[in-house]
Amino acid sequence: MTAEAQRRRAFWQILLIAAGLLVLTVISAGSVYLVNKAREDSKWVVHTIEVENQINALLLEVRRAESSARGFLLTQGPDFQSDHEKAVAAIIPALAKLTRQIGDDPAQRDSIEKLSAAIETRLDQFSREMDFVKQGQPDKAAALIREAAAGNTTTTISNQANAMIREEERLFRIRTANSDRSQTLAASMTGIGSGLVVLLALVSTWLVRRSARARDEAEARLRDANVNLETIVDERTADLREANDEIQRFAYIVSHDLRSPLVNIMGFTSELEELGGDIFRRISSLAHVPADGPPLAPGSSGEIALEGPDKQLSTDFSEALDFIKSSIAKMDRLISAILNLTREGRREFQPEKIDIREFVEAIVSTLAHQAVEAQAEIHVGSLPNIVSDRLALEQIFSNLIDNAIKYLKSGVPGEIRIRGRTKLGYAIFEISDNGRGIDPKDHQRIFDLFRRAGTQDKPGQGIGLAHVRALVRRLGGTMSVSSELNTGSTFTITLPVAWNASNRNVDR
Amino acid sequence: MTQPVTIIMIEDDEGHARLIERNIRRSGVNNEIVAFGNGTDAMRHLFGADGSGLSQKGNALLILLDLNLPDMSGIDILKQIKENRYLKASPVVVLTTTDDSQEIKRCYELGCNVYITKPVNYENFANAIRQLGLFFSVIQVPPAAT
Repeated sequence: MTAEAQRRRAFWQILLIAAGLLVLTVISAGSVYLVNKAREDSKWVVHTIEVENQINALLLEVRRAESSARGFLLTQGPDFQSDHEKAVAAIIPALAKLTRQIGDDPAQRDSIEKLSAAIETRLDQFSREMDFVKQGQPDKAAALIREAAAGNTTTTISNQANAMIREEERLFRIRTANSDRSQTLAASMTGIGSGLVVLLALVSTWLVRRSARARDEAEARLRDANVNLETIVDERTADLREANDEIQRFAYIVSHDLRSPLVNIMGFTSELEELGGDIFRRISSLAHVPADGPPLAPGSSGEIALEGPDKQLSTDFSEALDFIKSSIAKMDRLISAILNLTREGRREFQPEKIDIREFVEAIVSTLAHQAVEAQAEIHVGSLPNIVSDRLALEQIFSNLIDNAIKYLKSGVPGEIRIRGRTKLGYAIFEISDNGRGIDPKDHQRIFDLFRRAGTQDKPGQGIGLAHVRALVRRLGGTMSVSSELNTGSTFTITLPVAWNASNRNVDR
Repeated sequence: MTQPVTIIMIEDDEGHARLIERNIRRSGVNNEIVAFGNGTDAMRHLFGADGSGLSQKGNALLILLDLNLPDMSGIDILKQIKENRYLKASPVVVLTTTDDSQEIKRCYELGCNVYITKPVNYENFANAIRQLGLFFSVIQVPPAAT
């Protein structure tokens, strides 16, 4: 899968989620709006019903007042009178309430005004009727009733009220329809929205599954790649090990084969020296031969001194031989050093648990004599114990401590400190001195084979540090130096706390 | 009287051979020294044309062997000598530049009688050979087995 495709898929997923969110928001907002609208519509429906009720109640009261008034007129019974009064008393508040309720509708307001007027007229008639009855003039009251009937007051009231009821019914129908519509809208909106969300969820699930599959494939490929990588690393390691072994063998063979001619050179040089001795003894005996006597036997006259040019010749001869011999000796030491190094490189390490403090103190005690001669004091601090090769460690520490003693500043009492600590599975040892120090430009050089730095006033081949560093590396560690001229040096060795032979030499 | 011991010297380096011979002579050993510069010639001499070693039957031999030969490994020669019924009783002195402890151990395991590393320092070298010569002069060498 290309990065481009991955980006595109991620983009689609984000888009889907955004669309889902948007749909949900719209549905929520729409639902809230529609539910509110439905509630409003329902309120209006209820309001219409209430208005209708109120109109009916008002009509009922008017009718009650009318019928009780008639009853009173006929019987003059006080029951009818109180009934009529109660009805009349109820009419005004009922009318007022209706007026209030209907206040929002201008069409109905017109009607209610007419209704109010009619009701007022009728109420006036009622009170006059009742007065006539009370005064004992039922004829007048009956006339008034007739007049009212002729004036159609009652009919007007009922017509007006009926018109209003019809109007309200019309409104009721409209409002019911409205309410139904909003509810349907709300329902369908929720339905469609839910459907959309479900659809988006499905698409999203599909996308997620597809990307999961792609991820699984990528993981499988990664696993394969890792396995491959390990194989490659193993191959390279094997190659390196082979190359290293090759170098070791090469160094071994070369140093060996160099030694063979050296034996001859040295041997015949010595033979030549002896021969030279014989020749010069013979010359001297011939030079000192008495004119008359026989020559002295060669060998018995070594004491006879040569003279003049003969002496010069002899001196030159031995000087040349001395140079040859010292060079051979030096070459032999170098070859031996290489041989020893390759031998060390071939030695198998035996990891074991070592009490380092005790171990270092033992090394220090073997170097005590040199330390006293150099007026040096060696302080051993607390040192972490590690698992490593005893012999290799011994060479590392004794070389470094020996160097510290060897390269002190003359005239200054030496102070050598050995400290240690652990960090992340590694033990760090520091061997510091207050000696002559090493110029920073020589820090690399001192670790090279046969290279030395600083004043060459001490014997040495320039092998120690190269050897120490090779050992530290073979033990899976690192080594470094920090030093300035005349300020002492600190050699730092980092070694694994628990070294096992498995990381090196596994195939030996 | 047993017949005189013949010293067989297998050494590819002529200089070494010369130095060894000279120093052996200086120590007063006058036995015959037969020198070979390579393994093949030495093998032919020791084991004969048929490779059985029968030709050396009854001869008293002392073999000086260098390990680094141009045509074959001295260790192989040592092995074959020690496996041959006529030659296995002959003392073999390995005189070589190799001072590898593994190599030394292997030679002794194969039946080498003395192993000497050639010192580069001539005094030591000459000394070693002369002492070897003294050793030769006192050593009893059995004739090759019957």
